[in-house]
Amino acid sequence: MSMHESTTDRDLYQTADPIVEIRDAEVVFEMDRGVSRVLESADLDIERNEILGIVGESGSGKSMLASAMLDAVVEPGILSGQITYHPDERESVDVLELDDRELKKLRWEDISMVFQGAMSSFNPTMNVGGHFTETLDAHNYDVEAGMNRARELLSDLYLEPERVLEAYPHELSGGMKQRALIALSVVLEPDVLVMDEPTAALDLLMQRSILSLLEKLKEKYDLTLVFITHDLPLVAELADRMAVMYAFQLVEIGPTEEILEHAAHPYTRALLNATPNLDAPLSEMRPIDGSAPDPVDVPAGCSYHPRCPLADDTCVATDPDYHGVSESHGVACHHWAHAAEEIPFNVDAAEATTGGNQR
Amino acid sequence: MNWFIKRTGQAIFTLWAVATLSFGLIRLMPGGAADIMASRLQQQAQGSNIPREQLREMVASQLNVDPDAPIHEAYYQYMSALVQGDFGNSIRYGGQEVNAIIADTLPWTLFLMSLSTLGMFAIALSLGAIMAYKEGSTFDLANTGVGILLSSIPYYVAAVVFIAFLGYRTPLFPVRGRYPSGVDPGFTVEFIGGAFHHAMLPALSFIVTGYGLLALTMRGNSIQVLGEDYVRVARLRGLPDRRIALRYVGRNAVLPLYTSLLISIGFMFGGSIILEILFQYRGIGFEMNEGIIYRDMPLMMGTFLVITFGVVIALWIGDATYGKLDPRIKSGDDSEAY
Repeated sequence: MSMHESTTDRDLYQTADPIVEIRDAEVVFEMDRGVSRVLESADLDIERNEILGIVGESGSGKSMLASAMLDAVVEPGILSGQITYHPDERESVDVLELDDRELKKLRWEDISMVFQGAMSSFNPTMNVGGHFTETLDAHNYDVEAGMNRARELLSDLYLEPERVLEAYPHELSGGMKQRALIALSVVLEPDVLVMDEPTAALDLLMQRSILSLLEKLKEKYDLTLVFITHDLPLVAELADRMAVMYAFQLVEIGPTEEILEHAAHPYTRALLNATPNLDAPLSEMRPIDGSAPDPVDVPAGCSYHPRCPLADDTCVATDPDYHGVSESHGVACHHWAHAAEEIPFNVDAAEATTGGNQR
Repeated sequence: MNWFIKRTGQAIFTLWAVATLSFGLIRLMPGGAADIMASRLQQQAQGSNIPREQLREMVASQLNVDPDAPIHEAYYQYMSALVQGDFGNSIRYGGQEVNAIIADTLPWTLFLMSLSTLGMFAIALSLGAIMAYKEGSTFDLANTGVGILLSSIPYYVAAVVFIAFLGYRTPLFPVRGRYPSGVDPGFTVEFIGGAFHHAMLPALSFIVTGYGLLALTMRGNSIQVLGEDYVRVARLRGLPDRRIALRYVGRNAVLPLYTSLLISIGFMFGGSIILEILFQYRGIGFEMNEGIIYRDMPLMMGTFLVITFGVVIALWIGDATYGKLDPRIKSGDDSEAY
């Protein structure tokens, strides 16, 4: 597996004032049938106060990237690389160098996370309020002030604070649990909130309302949001920038508008074409042929080449570096310049996705 | 609340049904329990003929069943005596009240059972949790093997082995009786210590043969809970390990075992009969056996009813308190979802 020794343009994934810098992050699992590399040399900056959307299909390494930011990759996964957190007023922190106590402080106090399984993120034998108090307690926060903040957060999320705090998890609906979990993850006033598929188990209406609540929350509490999802139209509406993952690598990074209108990676373009859309007839929807690679046996060269209509010998031989499409738009593809001609959008993707969302 | 009333009604119905069945048994026993008793009283009187009327009264007072009364009247007498807590008089113990015998022996059986249950659950729960945390280790594998092996031994076989090895070969523990002879019952170190010493082997027989399966169940539950999202989130939230182990893993893994606890109470009540005979431990099971051997109908019925009452009440308490343990099991209809 070749590494990106140097990218053509480092600036492409760098931002002016990053709050989290991820460099060459890699997660491997030792398995009986070989080494499973589920995150490969990921380079990414998260700009202060932005909303970054990370998109990719199931099993593309999105969750690993999310866990990596808190050094919370599940055992026996091994995380390497460098992850730097730049707090507002304190010195920068090398996340992977922290000892257990410091890591405990970083998690939830600085960088917090909302998990995929919101339905099962609460202890069924404890009321919701108990989760808040024990978290405040474990981090030596003032419990009373913290609970007042929790009540405010809950009402910001359109929940009745007293009722929810007294309720047991099974007494709340999915959407309520999800919102309570968001409140729980920001109760210690973190700077960064990483959300891993926070809306996957919810119906469309609830997804929409949670998205708008998140935007409100972000403004009010000065949060930086990292939103991880497989649902491209969902982030398109919310995110300032987007990063697309394929086969455990980041293949394209750029501002949301740019990605939607001028996606330069064949995979991103195919993904946009595969997005269901009410305006487009079903016959125009294009599924992507083939299937995602096995983490133990990722194709040599560009990992997308077996499925890519533009692939040639170069793609099989060498892993592409980042190429600058524009100042802030990078893509890991040898043939990025021709992608737009070769894979035309079946409808105007940007219009379609945002148009679909306003519904 | 409705549920609670219903559940209590069920318990009371069970008690009534058992009492009625035992009444039927007394009346329908081959030869008739009343006839047997009458003839035995006649024998005891040795020659001097007891008038039939007096004999009938004696039988009635001892058995709570008047053999000559019509069935509904006899049933009424029997039940009202039961409700007043009157089980009649024992034949085996020369007319002593069965009540007094039960009052003397029941606490000992309860003591032995509590000791066994507490010991068994303390060992099983902590061992199972440790095994789960060390899943796949040698410690885990060894204890799984030992647990399965010990669980396949019947408790009375274990009891005999304990008597032979720990009672006679190396006399560490007394093998008979409830407390050391020559010690007066009371709150003295000798008496209480002696009582524990005497209860040790019978309790061990239950514990050693019973903890294995429980520990394996606890292990399985804990492993399952350890994989739950809420445990992972709790770790990320920086909760202390102790709190996660007790409040998150322990609490959720123990829930399904609560039912096992109740079942084991019933099992131990039944098992106490054999065990108390083996250890000559004068508990309620021992007296029941005496009642059977000596055809002592009132004693037999009294102990039988008390054992049944014990199991029914234990299950009732368990059901009534389960909701406290697991908030998801709100007692029936008062659970509200919003």
